Amino acid sequence: MTIFPGRRRAALALALSGVLALTATACGDDGGGAGGEGTEGSGKGKITFWDNNGGVRTDVWKEIIADFEKANPDIDVEYVGIASKEVQSKYDTAIQGGALPDVGGVGAAMLAGIAAQNALEPLDERIQSSALHGKLNAGMVESVKAAGGQDKLFTVPTSASNGVLYYRTDLFRAAGLQEPSTWSAFYAAAEKLTDRDKNRFGYTIRGGAGSIAQALDAMYGQSGIQSFWEGDRTTVNDPKNVAALERYAGLFKKNTPAADVNNDFTKMVAQWDSGEIGMLNHNLGSYQDHVKALGTEKFRGIPNPTLDDGTRVMVSNPVDGLGLFSSSKNKAAAWKFIEFAASHSSNSKWNKSAGAIPANTEAAQDPWLQEAEPTKLAAEVLFSGKATIVQLPYYLPDWNTISKADNEADFQKVLLGSMTAKAFADSLAEQLNEAQAEWKSQKK
Amino acid sequence: MTAAATRTRTASDDAPVSPAVPPEGAPPAPARKRHRAWDEVPRWQIYLPLGIYLVFTLVPFYWILLFAVRPAGSTSLLPWPMTSAHFEKVWTERSFGIFFQNSLLIGVAVLISTTLVALAGGYALARFDFRFKKGFMLALLCSQFVPGALLLVPLFQIFAELRMINSIGSVIIAETVFQLPLSMILISGFIRNVPPSLEEAAWVDGCNRFRAFLIVVLPLLRPGLVAVGSFAFVHAWNHFLFALMFLSSQSKQTIPVGLNTLMGADSVDLGALAAGGVIAAVPVVVVFAFIQKWLVTGFSAGAVKG
Repeated sequence: MTIFPGRRRAALALALSGVLALTATACGDDGGGAGGEGTEGSGKGKITFWDNNGGVRTDVWKEIIADFEKANPDIDVEYVGIASKEVQSKYDTAIQGGALPDVGGVGAAMLAGIAAQNALEPLDERIQSSALHGKLNAGMVESVKAAGGQDKLFTVPTSASNGVLYYRTDLFRAAGLQEPSTWSAFYAAAEKLTDRDKNRFGYTIRGGAGSIAQALDAMYGQSGIQSFWEGDRTTVNDPKNVAALERYAGLFKKNTPAADVNNDFTKMVAQWDSGEIGMLNHNLGSYQDHVKALGTEKFRGIPNPTLDDGTRVMVSNPVDGLGLFSSSKNKAAAWKFIEFAASHSSNSKWNKSAGAIPANTEAAQDPWLQEAEPTKLAAEVLFSGKATIVQLPYYLPDWNTISKADNEADFQKVLLGSMTAKAFADSLAEQLNEAQAEWKSQKK
Repeated sequence: MTAAATRTRTASDDAPVSPAVPPEGAPPAPARKRHRAWDEVPRWQIYLPLGIYLVFTLVPFYWILLFAVRPAGSTSLLPWPMTSAHFEKVWTERSFGIFFQNSLLIGVAVLISTTLVALAGGYALARFDFRFKKGFMLALLCSQFVPGALLLVPLFQIFAELRMINSIGSVIIAETVFQLPLSMILISGFIRNVPPSLEEAAWVDGCNRFRAFLIVVLPLLRPGLVAVGSFAFVHAWNHFLFALMFLSSQSKQTIPVGLNTLMGADSVDLGALAAGGVIAAVPVVVVFAFIQKWLVTGFSAGAVKG
């Protein structure tokens, strides 16, 4: 049946107009380095850079890019800010679809997964002949090398963070409490500062997204166990760790708001900044938010507590870095940008803005680091050798899934009392042991 | 006492019984009785639950507005002193002005393309019998069960082949394609509701099928078009996934993607996030305020006749 008798031309014209309209809005591309082998390129032209914490760090990156383009007028950098929560899926889709950038921010927690798909160029040789050689923090270099899972350097480290215990100095002073520098002092303060009738709590616990890493920090910090592995078996479900988890989870509702069971860092930080809660565990990244909300007089950020004998054990935080994607058609220019971004001046600028610890050793000597107390203290802990850092297995391709989606709901059950700490730790350990065995068999 | 009065009482055991007695010899009017009994429910029994629901619904909006207009660091529960700093920040520094334009362009383009194609497809479904029509309808329905994320990589590859990655056109096409099945089903329901004899009368008067559709059927589809168009616009406005994956340049990003970038890995500017949320919500609220009447009529009519 003819739908438009005698009107074929009109229909054709309509269809053509539609196609033209869509073409007019198109003017797109294939995403830059679309699949296949990349090339060194001319060292000039346009490169694309994906920021893995877009929005929050956009301003400082734009400043660094402007400096770079001034120093390298032949190179244009297109900045693409991607929200940190979505960056993993954006990379995964781009790898599968073949549309990666030339340079991208890649945190250690997602490094193994991306490197395993051969999307990143090993940078060991480039570093050897670069001005950066010998100027990057050795610990961070080792950390990203280990996180890549192939004994190769897949990112140039740019910054590190650390677990910080933020506490309200005004509330502590009013209650006659000392700095919560030990776990015993921490629990005593949590108890003393809680007054449920007045909606005052000693602590806010992270029960929602991101809870596992924070719980691990508390477990190893209290148990004093200094390694994540004992042979091929994880120490996560060691009885000392289980006991530590029981005590830590026991704070929930007793010394924390009941709503904490759903706390991701956003809610946790927001309620600490706007309420009357004594202590909060987070990393250096939220320092500026606390300053904005409370000023510098009402709180302090100190390294996580020690055992009573002064032993300090902390779990590693993912080191952030810049990766060169193997599909880049202009690796020479991309590498120049990475070198510039990790140089003394740019690295110092970026870390000052983020309140993080610079990977560039010259940047780590800059005066601003001495002025930002939590960053200074965290850097001291990290580099003094007086703390044991338990390296979390970021190299496991399944680490992100295990430490997030697969176990966060179970941690909530522990908080709510419908699962024991032991059952949780055993289940987590089983998954980790399995992932480790699989990773080892793939490496052979 | 009449049978009707007895029924009224029986049906409204929990409600106050109407004292009114029907005039002698008057015909029973049970429906009217029921309405009267309903009218005599104390106002508080209606307004209290509605009020509780309203508070429950509006408190989060108040909270967003509060964070959006109060200065950073303030813990006041009232939006005073007020500041526009957060709005200025997201609109200029965080490029929400550009994101807003892009979202509007995508929303309007998806609205137009979805409505046009759904009209054509819906008309065919309503007026023509063809082979495998039932199977086709079933396939349309089944396509609603497929989440967008599942098709992300294939779509990404197709658009990369077409060199349309980082093009607003890719999002418009993907959104339109995902909107079409439901829109076509809805529109076909509305068209079926228009008697074919109206079209046939227009044919007798010399119109061809297309013209008869334009001058006779289309004006009667207004509620349906409003329902389908607004649904397409709002969905395209709010949809996050395709814009995140297919668009990279900041100059092409949309409001939901921009909102997401306001939450950093370790840090979040709640004032800016709330201001961004208000900017994102305003067009949707305005659209719904204008089309509310047609929307309800449209969806209910489509649902019954679909």
